Amino acid sequence: MDKSKQEIIIASSHEPEQNSRREFMKQTGAILGAAGIMAMVPMGTRAAAWAAGSDAPELKVVNVGFIPLTDCASVVIASVMKFDEKYGIKINLSKEASWAAVRDKLVNGELHAAHVLYGLIYGVQLGIGGQKKDMSVLMTLSNNGQGITLSNQLKDKGVTTGEALKKLVDSEKRDYTFAQTFPTGTHAMWLYYWLASHGINPLSDVKTITVPPPQMVANMRVGNMDGFCVGEPWNNRAIYDKIGFSAATSQDIWKDHPEKVLGSTAEFTQKYPNTARALMMAVLEASKYIDDMANRRKVAEIIADKSYVNCPVEVIDQRLEGKYEDGLGKKWNDPNYMKFCNDGAVNFPYLSDGMWFLTQHKRWGLLKEDPDYLGVAKKINQIELYKQAASQVKVSIPKDVMRTSKLIDGTVWDGKDPKKYAASFKIKA
Amino acid sequence: MKRILIIDDVRDRAAWLKASLELAEFDVVGVLSWEQVDERAIQAASADVIIVDANAPGRDTLEQISLMSSTLEKPVVVLGAQTDTRSIQESMRAGVSAYVAHTIQGEDMSGIIHVAAARFAEHKRLRDELKEAKSQLVERKLVDRAKGMLMDDHGYSEAEAYKRMRNMAMAKGKRIAEIAEAIIFAKELSA
Repeated sequence: MDKSKQEIIIASSHEPEQNSRREFMKQTGAILGAAGIMAMVPMGTRAAAWAAGSDAPELKVVNVGFIPLTDCASVVIASVMKFDEKYGIKINLSKEASWAAVRDKLVNGELHAAHVLYGLIYGVQLGIGGQKKDMSVLMTLSNNGQGITLSNQLKDKGVTTGEALKKLVDSEKRDYTFAQTFPTGTHAMWLYYWLASHGINPLSDVKTITVPPPQMVANMRVGNMDGFCVGEPWNNRAIYDKIGFSAATSQDIWKDHPEKVLGSTAEFTQKYPNTARALMMAVLEASKYIDDMANRRKVAEIIADKSYVNCPVEVIDQRLEGKYEDGLGKKWNDPNYMKFCNDGAVNFPYLSDGMWFLTQHKRWGLLKEDPDYLGVAKKINQIELYKQAASQVKVSIPKDVMRTSKLIDGTVWDGKDPKKYAASFKIKA
Repeated sequence: MKRILIIDDVRDRAAWLKASLELAEFDVVGVLSWEQVDERAIQAASADVIIVDANAPGRDTLEQISLMSSTLEKPVVVLGAQTDTRSIQESMRAGVSAYVAHTIQGEDMSGIIHVAAARFAEHKRLRDELKEAKSQLVERKLVDRAKGMLMDDHGYSEAEAYKRMRNMAMAKGKRIAEIAEAIIFAKELSA
């Protein structure tokens, strides 16, 4: 029995509610199916496909985890549209129930790679809230497309902006509860940054809790929270269900911010560099495909399925196509909609992007000491591997490993002095 | 003695796990459903070990509570539903089940982990068996009904009716229950 098959069988043993035998048959079928498909490709084509990837992938089946969110599109499309086969691999998608499960399965090798929160990978590298493990960011998967939703109860109090929220929190004392999706993750950082930019300390002025993305809307409906930060389609879903409204999009907080990454352990990239490259090329091709606006409706239809995001197509499609409404009567076409490629501007694993999460982990007390910001980012972000993959699929590579961004509070982040930047915030832990 | 808290929405599994752990003389201080999980409930239980299903969505909620709380010792979370001992050991080595409290060493956990893992696996096996038994029962009922229809409509003996269905199933590459279903549907259509 080859290794990949073994790993899949072990993975299937973790599903308590499923018939394991049926699952086993299905997954074995998928593997045999993949082998069958490759066998049908004429030798010449196959050799050409591998030549394009410079070296044959060490693994034929790559287990890739994802969480039901609109930005899981690139890994799903890479598999569904068979971009993976072009590079001699078969992506075996695995829908996960929590970010904790994604982390654990990456760490123990059940998943080779995953659609994962940028900050989570950095948190594991530094051992925040768990065991330390050397990790890799292969590429960034998406920019923009998250948001902050406030409840209709707040709207009834006249709160439709961050400024008004600050006034209410100051004048009417009670417990205010805000939810994000993972303690070290991106949504925690967007939520904290946004609240702080309006003078609200997310750790002392309000209560923050963690709720799995698909459960956000249900929790707000029963009055468990005043607001949340989550990825689409769940902000749009809250509007669709008439329980909340959009106070801010994540692109309001940071235009073209890094969001999900294709993450793995360092062990995976060291042991299987050709597989990692093939995976990156397949996902880059999918990213290009999704960024063609003519394809977005079709992408929404594919990912809306029960096996992926499990949400009505319309709810996903609107914001995926940049058509926003805020639930307060305002409609607009957002030029900074969720992007997946943008000719590589999205995907390049900028060191400044990775370091930013470390500065925020330090700001909010998740890191007690300043880490070696640049050293950690250089270790995690696989720039060389990315460049090889991107050049093969003709995606542009930026000249600088840093980029400069201006955030909602007017501060500029360029990656040059992370320690000073981390210490510069008035509102902090 | 380690104080154990179980969080599980599958009630019979939780009850069973609790009984098993207590039989092995572990101290189970509480059983919660995921809906009940918040910082206060976790604090109140003051558990050393929390046992949850590895695939529960609520695990991220627990992450935040154990990470952000200044007073709560980081609980050890034992991941359930792992049927394979080797995979448990590998996970343990990789530090997966260890949001480890400083006071608890990995080896102290082994007894609890073994009981929990074995019970999770046993529960899953029984559920699978039950599901299979149920589906077999449904299939047998379908076959009996279709058989009765053939006997009534064509005057076949029971053995002949069954043989005809079986032959068709083999010829079409379908299960006999599917053939039975088709016969029933056809009958309903013409009724």
